[in-house]
Amino acid sequence: MVQKVTINIDGMSIRAPKGTSVLDAALEYGICIPHLCHVPYLSDIGACRLCIVEHVVNGRAKITTSCTLLVEEGMVILSNTEKVRKLRRNIAELIVAEAPNSRAIQDIAIRCGVKEVRYPFRNNDCILCGRCVQVCTGRYGVKAIGFVGRGKDRRVETPFNLHSDLCRNCGACIDVCPMTVVPCDGPMKVGEERLCGKCEPKMAFAEETPGFCVWCDLGEGFQCERYTLGVRNQAYP
Amino acid sequence: MAKINTIGDLEALRTDLQNYRNSFQTTLIVCGGTGCKASRSRDLINALKKELFKQGMEKSVLLRSTGCHGFCEQGPIVVIEPANTFYCHVSPDDAEEIIFKTVNNGEVIERLLYTDPVSGKTIQTESEIPFYLFQDRQLLAQNREVDPCSIEDYIAIGGYSAIAKTLAEMSPETVIKEIKDAGLRGRGGGGFPTGQKWTECRDAPGDEKYVVCNADEGDPGAYMDRSVLEGNPHLVLEGMMIGAWAIGAWQGKVYVRNEYPLAVEHIRFAVQQAKEIGLLGENILGSSFSFDVEIARGGGAFVCGESTALIASLEGKVGEPRPKDIHTVLDGLWHKPTTLNNVETWANVPSIILNGSKWFGSKGSKNSKGTKIIALTGRIKNTGLVEIAMGTTLNTVVFDIGGGPTGKPIRAVQTGGPSGGCLPLDKFYLPLDFDALADAGSMIGSGGIVVMDEETCMVDVAKYFLTFLQDESCGKCVPCRLGIDRMLEIITDISEGRGKPEQIDLLEDLAETVSQTSLCALGKTAANPVLSTLRYFREEYDAHIRQKKCPAGVCQELITYFIDPELCSGCGICKRECPHGAITGERKQAHEIDLELCQKCGICRSECAFEAIKVK
Ligand SMILES: Cc1cc2nc3c(=O)[nH]c(=O)nc-3n(C[C@H](O)[C@H](O)[C@H](O)COP(=O)(O)O)c2cc1C
Ligand code: SF4
Ligand code: SF4
Ligand code: FES
Repeated sequence: MVQKVTINIDGMSIRAPKGTSVLDAALEYGICIPHLCHVPYLSDIGACRLCIVEHVVNGRAKITTSCTLLVEEGMVILSNTEKVRKLRRNIAELIVAEAPNSRAIQDIAIRCGVKEVRYPFRNNDCILCGRCVQVCTGRYGVKAIGFVGRGKDRRVETPFNLHSDLCRNCGACIDVCPMTVVPCDGPMKVGEERLCGKCEPKMAFAEETPGFCVWCDLGEGFQCERYTLGVRNQAYP
Repeated sequence: MAKINTIGDLEALRTDLQNYRNSFQTTLIVCGGTGCKASRSRDLINALKKELFKQGMEKSVLLRSTGCHGFCEQGPIVVIEPANTFYCHVSPDDAEEIIFKTVNNGEVIERLLYTDPVSGKTIQTESEIPFYLFQDRQLLAQNREVDPCSIEDYIAIGGYSAIAKTLAEMSPETVIKEIKDAGLRGRGGGGFPTGQKWTECRDAPGDEKYVVCNADEGDPGAYMDRSVLEGNPHLVLEGMMIGAWAIGAWQGKVYVRNEYPLAVEHIRFAVQQAKEIGLLGENILGSSFSFDVEIARGGGAFVCGESTALIASLEGKVGEPRPKDIHTVLDGLWHKPTTLNNVETWANVPSIILNGSKWFGSKGSKNSKGTKIIALTGRIKNTGLVEIAMGTTLNTVVFDIGGGPTGKPIRAVQTGGPSGGCLPLDKFYLPLDFDALADAGSMIGSGGIVVMDEETCMVDVAKYFLTFLQDESCGKCVPCRLGIDRMLEIITDISEGRGKPEQIDLLEDLAETVSQTSLCALGKTAANPVLSTLRYFREEYDAHIRQKKCPAGVCQELITYFIDPELCSGCGICKRECPHGAITGERKQAHEIDLELCQKCGICRSECAFEAIKVK
């Protein structure tokens, strides 16, 4: 029998097996914590920082990512405070300003409450979330792609930038890449990037009923773990 | 050399070595640190050696090449004991005269003495020099006593007696208690209580544990760790041995930056010597304690100094930080409990064991004990490595030790390296203490202090550090990679005259997000240069944004060069030197700059002997 612990998220008691992350535990119960770099079943790298929550220890709240935080008995988590929402919105704004040309990224921006983008748009093809590298190395144990370079020069590449013999052409990297999800109105040209915002009305309730999964269409767009795992079709534990 | 098997052996060897040292009438100490080496101290040492032979004095004079004395700008430095005569800027050609006059006849060579730039007087001995007068050199002073490549020198001055004492009379718990009571806090930047770290690591489950010495030192302009490791490697080793005993480790690693070849060489050699003599290896000094140390060379990325990135790099992986929800004291190198401390932290350990926690705690301020080594640079008269008691004020550091401004009045200091902050003149009453500086929006960090005068633009300073951090960020997490990038974009706008008032709010909002949500401490502190300059020098940002002016005359896009006709002698140098042909004028008549052609390179200004070229 797997040992279970009880944790408290936003005032709710939740039981989760030891060793699961707070993010997984929350999603299992339908508590929405936006996330991007997290790929189900794989170890988390904590790169996108969207899944931040407040972890309350001895009365002091600390901002940390829920995907890398493992559940512990009696843990107290606040996933949807004013502060978390603001920080998460600012992170999502940085992301969408960098790569607006993806429905997945636009969805995340809306889900996180981004209403305006205060930076000049760029039109990058890769948001460096690392999901592709994660599946390739984590799920298949192959290292056909990986990160190279540091800081501004960071990018995903095959070894020596050649098609690698290690690659099995499985296409998993493409499946998980948010940049392959085309915006509804088609690709945005350079100079025409914008915050789409069309789905904003769908999110009108998100602020009032925070933390609960409403099976928003957006989740599908940004490959929310609940969709990818098909939790919808499973009986709740 | 014979193996040392017991504490008795060690003490006997020490007595022999001390007698040997005392048998010399005179000791010539020559600095061979990286700074002085750059100014040819190696040639000087050879010249002195040759002279000693020539004048038949090699038996009565001990020549010692040591690590850094801290006053590198005066190098090469020679100190002659017992009179303690201090010579600076010594060249190999001076060797003959030094041996003949000073060593033989006790005469002082006036020309080689140090001249205090403040009083203009020459000074004979090291201890009277104002630069040294206000310091408390517990660690650095040992550098002149030892040749870093000689374990004998280290033993002669009392080395390895702290580990002997530890093994003979102290349990791991008493060692940790002593370190805790001393109030030692990490010198690598974070100021984390060392005793607490050791306790957690000792209590962590597992038999296999590690101690690691962080000698990555990637802050631009910092070289305190280099000087300690390079000048006195055995001190660091002894500290690590005591720490290993305390936490129950039998393996240690020293992670040294590859750009420090001399430090790598010296610590390697020190480990080899200690092994040969039996101070590293099995059953050290006849006890149950066994310990071994390996040296690893770092690739030179700034972020590799971060604890989890350093550990990844030691394991042969890419040096990127990982989330620290489980601390390295529990899950560190090869997933084993690991105690990582900075070079200077380790170097403080032996003296705490020998002199007691009370002695250590008597120096410093309430929550910052002991001394700290500072790399002091910028627009002041004396620059170099400075060791001061914690709690010494910035005023003392800048004006007494540093000797005050070189030209324009001083207006600020930047402390703590790239992730530190700027403090204005009216905060110079603050003591150098972890908490006082943090409350003021800066930090001690690893101990860099850059002094700035009125020709330094604070927007430009923020831009400089952001550029550094942007290059050095590993790029893994969003707030750091994109946040720093956007902050830099905004600051660049401001410094180039495109700034808008609302960008200040955006900058503050973004800075908060970056510092709250970044994965590692690089990102978490990256906003400090922006936040502290915004806090104390907001009017300067306003001047850039609203008046499109750079008051310090630094930001190229916002300044124009002009020639003051009153001061111009018409010599024509500027006209000749201007690579853009922007200057016109007849000989002996006031010249003029064509603003259309001027590229603002500033060459003319530095060439003009009459200071007639100004910026506005
Ligand atoms: C980006 C970054 C760079 C760092 N570089 C160094 C370094 O060069 N040397 C060092 O001792 N600590 C460095 N640190 C701090 C280490 O992470 C760690 O806190 C320290 O080595 C612990 O030792 P201490 O407690 O003795 O200070 C760095 C931290 C960060 C975030
Ligand atoms: S290629 Fe796609 S999945 Fe891979 S890091 Fe870039 S955005 Fe993420
Ligand atoms: S904060 Fe910066 S350096 Fe640290 S993990 Fe994130 S991107 Fe890398
Ligand atoms: S999902 Fe947790 S940091 Fe990306």
